[in-house]
Amino acid sequence: MITIRGLHKYYGENHLFRGIDLDVEKGQVVVLIGPSGSGKSTFLRCVNGLEYFQDGEVTVNGIKLHSINRKRPARADREAMRQVRLKVGMVFQQFNLFPHMTALENIIEAPMRVLKVEKNTAINTALALLRRVNVEHKAESYPDELSGGEQQRVAIARALAMKPEAMLFDEPTSSLDPEMVGEVLSVIRDLVNDGMTTVIATHVMEFAREVADTVVVFDKGEIVETGPPEEIFNTPKTDRTRAFLSRILKR
Amino acid sequence: MKKSLRVLSLLIGLLAVFYFAVPSQSSVGSLDRIKERGLLLWGSDAEGGAPYVFPDPEHPDTLIGFEVDIADAIAREFGVNARQVQNAWDSLIPALERGDFDIAMNGIEITPQREAKIFFSIPYYVYTEQLAVGKDETRISDINDLSGMKVGTLSGAVAQDILMELGGVDVRTYSGQAEPYEDLALGRLDAVLLDLPIAAYYAKPNPKLKYAGPPVGEGFYGIAIRKEDENLKRAIDEAIGTLLETGELKRIYEKWDMWNETQEKLYLYAKGYERGVTLEEAKQAPIWRFFPMLLKGAGITILISVFSMALAIVLGLVLTLMRMYGRPPLSAVATSYIELYRGTPLLIQLYILYYGLPNVGIALSPIVAAFLGLGMNYAAYEAELYRAGISAIPKGQTEAALSLGMTQGTTLRRVILPQALRIALPGVTNDFIALFKDSSLVSIIAMVELTKTYNILAATTLRFFELGLIVAFLYLAMSYPLSLLARSLEERLKGKKR
Repeated sequence: MITIRGLHKYYGENHLFRGIDLDVEKGQVVVLIGPSGSGKSTFLRCVNGLEYFQDGEVTVNGIKLHSINRKRPARADREAMRQVRLKVGMVFQQFNLFPHMTALENIIEAPMRVLKVEKNTAINTALALLRRVNVEHKAESYPDELSGGEQQRVAIARALAMKPEAMLFDEPTSSLDPEMVGEVLSVIRDLVNDGMTTVIATHVMEFAREVADTVVVFDKGEIVETGPPEEIFNTPKTDRTRAFLSRILKR
Repeated sequence: MKKSLRVLSLLIGLLAVFYFAVPSQSSVGSLDRIKERGLLLWGSDAEGGAPYVFPDPEHPDTLIGFEVDIADAIAREFGVNARQVQNAWDSLIPALERGDFDIAMNGIEITPQREAKIFFSIPYYVYTEQLAVGKDETRISDINDLSGMKVGTLSGAVAQDILMELGGVDVRTYSGQAEPYEDLALGRLDAVLLDLPIAAYYAKPNPKLKYAGPPVGEGFYGIAIRKEDENLKRAIDEAIGTLLETGELKRIYEKWDMWNETQEKLYLYAKGYERGVTLEEAKQAPIWRFFPMLLKGAGITILISVFSMALAIVLGLVLTLMRMYGRPPLSAVATSYIELYRGTPLLIQLYILYYGLPNVGIALSPIVAAFLGLGMNYAAYEAELYRAGISAIPKGQTEAALSLGMTQGTTLRRVILPQALRIALPGVTNDFIALFKDSSLVSIIAMVELTKTYNILAATTLRFFELGLIVAFLYLAMSYPLSLLARSLEERLKGKKR
């Protein structure tokens, strides 16, 4: 479903990715872990074209994103990225809800403008999604009237409204107060249990262990180890994985 | 959306009416055209004031003055009506050349420099320069005592050249003729040298001032005509000749108390006597008489401000989008435009637009030039406000919109601009109020708006203070509701977000 081959990414002189390969099968749940700054988020953003990369290829559902070595991509490249984004939903660490729209408007905006869904249909879908993420009572609220956990759940509903075939979560609980982490994770858990193809970058190890089919360990822009969760967490093969896990589990 | 479109098209329609109401270059020209039109358009500056051309204190919306009488008399000879076209005195000649009117008549002295550019009719008045000083002045008895003195005169007038040639005189130039005498009475100047008819109106009746020495520097006023209108010059000469023969001209001068022996050189017959308006009478006219004229000026001010701001708001947005989202040639054009318009004075931009463009064959009517000049200038400032607004929107907003499959255009329209404009709004309304006041600058391109109306009336009546207060109040009465409107708009937008 998602294939990444030979991904190279520079930040100026700094060579972050030196040829990354990864495959995500349909229905698979891949969890990215690793220290801050190891490249998990950047990797996710390369998958849906929010971050450009200098070499390599990303294929999503047969649509290819080539290396784009410039700030202003050509029209054809922009359209390819858009096609990828239509297949892949994204949830951000900072929620990024549109502050000038209510929760409901946030959700119906893209289906109406992009998929040309009729307004009543879009509203019905949105209300069902809000029920699914347990914030239907806040449909008419503006983002700054919602708690962080509610905002993130609306953001998930907003991504799901586009009926994506895969979902990317970029540290979805990192800016939440601890008591709100659970409600967001339970929504993601439901989604995973429904068979959604999912890639999650997270620092919550218990959750990684619980939902992942495959855990990918990032360090300094490299994938240092890939494997099923019990293998990564119980019998890590590399020193770098061991060092990371011992640091994070001690906390 | 539809409503705002309707308003916009209405505004454009109105502008078009104004545009076509102003004579364009092609319709101005020879005697035949004047006769066909039934109107003789003559340029002069009512701010220049009495006794040449100035608003009647009895009926401030009509102009009077000896030149108004002469223009009417000449037009009568042609079998047409005369219509005055307002224009700043020091740019009468360029405005004549660009075809704003058929002739210019406003105490324009016949000089070789001017004759190089335009035709003059035969003289219609013999002027002399009169030196005026304060009542208690003892140092200055005539023009030879001016060394080291502060002497006021009119910018571009022959009196200025005389003062310059004297050498050692501290010459202060003014654009109106009432102001130098005001400053002289206040002791800001030591003397004023100006044409006798001006001195006769402003200095002679003023108890604080007196004449110093005899008139000097005899010369002639002539009517200015474009070089290509030779047949018009001949017709004007003929008409002046007729007015001389019939004594009509002398009657006009006697009416204005301007007749003297010097004029005998030109005029032979004298009959009848009719008195003109004196400064004393102008000073005592009840103030309410000027209201209709001031309100008309205020209307023009509002019209120009609203149109210009509408242009600035739309053009500013286009510039911002070009600058922030356009590819290099486009973005460079937008950036240069903004820097150019912010980095040069509005006054210069207006001059180039109105007096400069005709050199390359584009003659804009005053209202269109005012609208474009103000609008294009403020567009640069609005563009920067929008840019600040857009820059203030977190990158995550764009990313979220793009990740939902929106195109860049949809992202901009639905997510970025609604938030950015909300941030820019206070600045934009603030600029509207500033533009509103800056609109007084367009008086230099022959628009008679509120400030220009004030200048004209104050120069005639010398009531700078009371008229000034009224005009200031009118400006406030127009801009304060604007502030209130802006504030309630901001509140409403804030409320919507909440």
